[in-house]
Amino acid sequence: MAKYLLKRIFYLLLTLFIVITVTFFLMKLLPGTPLQNQQKLSPSEQHLILKQYGLTKPIWQQYLTYVGGVLHGNFGTSFQFSDQPVSYLISSRIGPSLLLGTQAMILGVVPGILVGALGAIKKNTWVDTTTTIVSILGISIPSFVLAVLLQYFIGLKLHLLPIADWGGFAYTVLPTIALAASPFADTARFTRTEMVDVLNSDYIELARAKGLSKWGVIYHHALRNSLIPVVTIIGPLAVNIMTGSMVIENIFSIPGIGEQFVKSILTNDYPTIMAVTIVYSVMLMVVLLITDIVYGIIDPRIRISGKSN
Amino acid sequence: MRLSQILALGTVSGAALLLLTACGAQNNRHLARSQTLHWVESADLPTMDPSKSTDVVSGDALHNVDEGLLRIGQGSRLRPGVAKSYRVSKDGKTWTFDLRHSKWSNGSPVTAADFVYGWRRTVKPSTASQFAYLYDHVKNYATINKGKRAPAKLGVKAHGPYQLVVTLSRPQSYFKYLVASQAFLPQNRQVVEKYGSKFATNSRDAVYNGPFRLTGWQGTNDDWTLKKNRQYWDAGQTKLQAVKVQVIKDQGTWLSQYQSGKVDELMTDGTQYRQLKNSPEMHIRDSASMFYLEFNQRQGFFKNNVDARKAIALAINKPSLTQNILADGSQAPKGLVPTRLAKKGSTDFADDAYVKSGTTYNLRQARRLWKKALRRSGRSSITLNLLADDTPGGKKTVEFIQSQMAKLPGLRLTTTNVPFNVRLNRSTTGDFNMVVSAWIADFPDAVSFSSLFTSHNAYNRGHWQNKDYDADVKNAEGKDANDPDARWHDLVSAEKTLMQQQGVVPLYQRNQAQMLKPYVHGVQYFPTGAQWDFSRAYISDHQ
Repeated sequence: MAKYLLKRIFYLLLTLFIVITVTFFLMKLLPGTPLQNQQKLSPSEQHLILKQYGLTKPIWQQYLTYVGGVLHGNFGTSFQFSDQPVSYLISSRIGPSLLLGTQAMILGVVPGILVGALGAIKKNTWVDTTTTIVSILGISIPSFVLAVLLQYFIGLKLHLLPIADWGGFAYTVLPTIALAASPFADTARFTRTEMVDVLNSDYIELARAKGLSKWGVIYHHALRNSLIPVVTIIGPLAVNIMTGSMVIENIFSIPGIGEQFVKSILTNDYPTIMAVTIVYSVMLMVVLLITDIVYGIIDPRIRISGKSN
Repeated sequence: MRLSQILALGTVSGAALLLLTACGAQNNRHLARSQTLHWVESADLPTMDPSKSTDVVSGDALHNVDEGLLRIGQGSRLRPGVAKSYRVSKDGKTWTFDLRHSKWSNGSPVTAADFVYGWRRTVKPSTASQFAYLYDHVKNYATINKGKRAPAKLGVKAHGPYQLVVTLSRPQSYFKYLVASQAFLPQNRQVVEKYGSKFATNSRDAVYNGPFRLTGWQGTNDDWTLKKNRQYWDAGQTKLQAVKVQVIKDQGTWLSQYQSGKVDELMTDGTQYRQLKNSPEMHIRDSASMFYLEFNQRQGFFKNNVDARKAIALAINKPSLTQNILADGSQAPKGLVPTRLAKKGSTDFADDAYVKSGTTYNLRQARRLWKKALRRSGRSSITLNLLADDTPGGKKTVEFIQSQMAKLPGLRLTTTNVPFNVRLNRSTTGDFNMVVSAWIADFPDAVSFSSLFTSHNAYNRGHWQNKDYDADVKNAEGKDANDPDARWHDLVSAEKTLMQQQGVVPLYQRNQAQMLKPYVHGVQYFPTGAQWDFSRAYISDHQ
């Protein structure tokens, strides 16, 4: 297991290095500058400002400086926020994003599994039809549309929850729901399909034949076995939530990194774009790593070990 | 200005103060109990360093928490700031400011040395200020900014703690507006040096001398509060206890927050403006930005071809562009200089310099002139390209102009939309036939536009040249710089020449449409520089 982990972490770092390199050179192809007032600056004034940001050096030198900085945890200085280190920008903004992401993940996956299981158990009844309709709606309504609908009806018309802004649990409810809708629907659909399969399999028949209670069979045999494929989709779901958060944070005026990412792209603030890309990559790779480990725990057959080598 | 004209700003302000106190007593009965204004910015606050601020959000914040020598007020009229009064020497090159006794929010006095320190800091190359160019008339600016001379040589000196003397390299009548802008704010040396690179990167590592002070800004968060500054010399006039500012980047969310009463204002986008334009809460805010068409007159078809330029100008229906196509509160132009930018008494520059043929729409005349222009160049048809930004506004504009040009016989107009940088590059190198350009004035004076089109100005992308125009602008900047009437006349004459010769075609004046709650009063708006001043604002009783 330790050897496996080390190998995975090595690959993770390698991937990260490639991501940094590719993003760096892609960014250099974009026409962004820290000049806010380009039209009114003389060439010598422009040169002076670019020099302050180290942008007059050859690109390979800028690349080495950048990679060197990243190794020391220095992501450079933001173009939009003067004198503000990008590492501070991200560390002060990552809290709301992580909180929302975690809440959305829990709110999406746990009820998703329950609803999916319920649909499978009550297959071809009105319960099944209702849960299927709900999950299809969850998949087909984009999060930003749901966000606006929630803002309009629950925030503006019913005054139940704040429309936007940040400052306490009440402010997280609507964005969490908007973000959680699609993971919820995905999980519910997946769980239902898997569970229907599992419930028809021989070992379930056997368990029933042995006289186990209905719920005992469902909990011990059906649900556990259905969860393996569900774990597989947690990785993609996390990506879903991360990309969704860019839009959702903007709509709900949440001071997170998703919102910052959008702003950085619009203002060509590439030190920030680079750093946020790295943070997103790390988060995604860590989620995938955890998924793989969880896999092994749920199903011993999948556990990869060095023994066969 | 004859001899050392002393502007008794102090006396004027004293009288105004009495008047305001009288009004105040009457208004107080209607004041709401909570004097908190809920404002919105659509972007983050990037810095509070006066030397590094380039954007409107930090401009708004700095304008309200700090104060320069003078303060800009309603209708772009100046009122005294840290300076009680000032006088200008006969040659217009020496400006002497007498400062009042006022304090920073940490209790230390605001002195002439703070101005000297702040100005030198903005100009020196290591600061890399993007607004240092506003100092270009101050003695030794250029050499200091290039690093060839020490910052201490800048033409600004403290004569004792309360007198500041500025030496200009050449007269600049609008210098008075510049000293009211954020690039010319005082900076407290002890504070700047104490916090070093952290200075003004959050609300605690800074110090304020304006009507408000900034709180609750950690450097990257998207809400902050301007609290009344009790150390401010004129704090008695500040009615608001706080201005809570929130960043909202999504237009739909902003509208919902406004409708639910969580925020007191909304800058509408095109769609919202169309829905809300008849609301009594709608206010049109003129900004000093003008979009205009430039012709490449370096060589080729438009060179010395006034008929062709006029034909194109006459064939564009500007009111239709602003009302039907852009439909965001923008207005059809009266000339190159925006309306309500510069005034002499009650006369608006744009009215005084109005040339009907320069901005009007007349298709029949346009066709006649166009045929004439084609005949003279010996062609029966021509293909031209129109260059513009790839923004939504840029795309709408070129599509509209293309449809209008279809009515000119023998003209085929192709269009190209490119990113801002590319547009600038191609404009500078002359790689275009026609280009949609834009300019925003830095200060409320007509010359901020007029100076663009002298023969050798770098912003004159089309190389339009006219001797009379050059002479007029040169006089306004030189010989008549100290004579407001003659200077006004020079600039009016220059603008008329530009329009009669159709050196450029003004397309639209970009305005902003704002919804403001009816209980908010006294917020001042400026078309140039910082946008909002809350120092005289108050909330009336509305419960």
